[in-house]
Amino acid sequence: MRNSSRENKFEPVASQSDGALVQRMTAGDDRALGELYDRHGGTLYALAVAIAQERADAEEIVADALGQAWRTAAQFDPGRGSVGAWLATITRTRALDLVRARGRRARALVRAAGESSDGLAAPIAAAGEAPDRGIERQEARQLVGRSLAELPEPQRRVIELAYFGGLTQTEIAAELQEPLGTVKTRMRAGMEKLRGSLAQLLLREGP
Amino acid sequence: MTDHQGYRELAAPFALDALSAAERAAFAAHLAECATCRADVQAFREVAGVLAHAAPAAEPPAGLRDRVLREARRVRPLAGRRAIGPWLAAAAALVLAVAAGYGYWRERAARDQLGSALAATRARLDSADQLVAAILDSTVGTADLAATGKAPTMRLYWNRARHVVVVAAFDLPPAPAGRTYQLWAIKKGQSPVSLGTFNTSGGGRAIVTLPVPTGLKPDLSAVTEEPSGGSPQPTQQPFLVGAWQGI
Repeated sequence: MRNSSRENKFEPVASQSDGALVQRMTAGDDRALGELYDRHGGTLYALAVAIAQERADAEEIVADALGQAWRTAAQFDPGRGSVGAWLATITRTRALDLVRARGRRARALVRAAGESSDGLAAPIAAAGEAPDRGIERQEARQLVGRSLAELPEPQRRVIELAYFGGLTQTEIAAELQEPLGTVKTRMRAGMEKLRGSLAQLLLREGP
Repeated sequence: MTDHQGYRELAAPFALDALSAAERAAFAAHLAECATCRADVQAFREVAGVLAHAAPAAEPPAGLRDRVLREARRVRPLAGRRAIGPWLAAAAALVLAVAAGYGYWRERAARDQLGSALAATRARLDSADQLVAAILDSTVGTADLAATGKAPTMRLYWNRARHVVVVAAFDLPPAPAGRTYQLWAIKKGQSPVSLGTFNTSGGGRAIVTLPVPTGLKPDLSAVTEEPSGGSPQPTQQPFLVGAWQGI
């Protein structure tokens, strides 16, 4: 590592892969954790806010999630997905746990109960707000946001309720008062479409 | 298996973590022996892996980076441990993660081996199919209950016209003295409803018919071991769980 990782944080592509950083974490190198935060912290924080709504909670969620990633770095398995996906999974789980522990509903559900067309993807299309760290992150956000926004509303809805709302397909069916079979079909169709529209990104993120 | 299509539909919700603990356990067992579904899940999981990018932008507070590092410095990373095959490990880990959030079924819901245990008894299930089918007609729903920790498997036949459930159990040792097995019908979000108790013979088999209340339309069934006479509600985590199809 040259200099401190802080000075590098605006570089679009850092010299080491995410996987190499995780490897260094297993050896107890906390600068690697700092760099991982610089690359993914913004995404994870946004995810935590999207699920938990409260910013103070989101801070706790991200700190806990990265603490867990730090402790369990040796269990990261590149065969199962990217480092970003791994961190997102940990963060999402933590966020949903916290929301449930507080007896609250995830933000996606609060939204779903209100305006029917107000999906999570909506703000992103209009976005451009907070400058993201790194061009790749920014591109990923735009691409995923756009791909989700382009889905037929019912398909997008079930995927958002599952991912951001933490609902099972059965719970989604109850929430939307739709037959379970309809929910299943929409979920699969939506995921198939995303798989196509995100192919480029998925190739790049790689496992 | 009669219902590969039914399983295929579970690949997307599995990747999105949108299955109940019992559905997940059953699907994980299916994955162990179905390459098509494994490929689906792999692809969908990659999609799910980037969905975090769809969260509306939010700038983390300035102090968060320091907090993360400060908290991390208090502990050292754990030593590595990755023993079982990555796929099964993934399935088992997911089952565990989801099961942890549920009251009744906890750690028991995973363990490796469940796939091979199922495969080993599949042939016997199929011959039992023919036997049981003889006493059933077309209005029959089925549930395959996957073992979550031990070897046994079970297939249930729900005859809606006759209001009975036929239980076919395999490789299930008889319950210990003073204990019995109890079958539950579970509607998501509601308390389990007892469908009655049963026991197996010395050969580990049982084919019994239990009456069921009318109007019941469960999502899942599960089996627990209970004190003789059964319990009003499960007192243990179930060791067999499965989703109903076609009822």
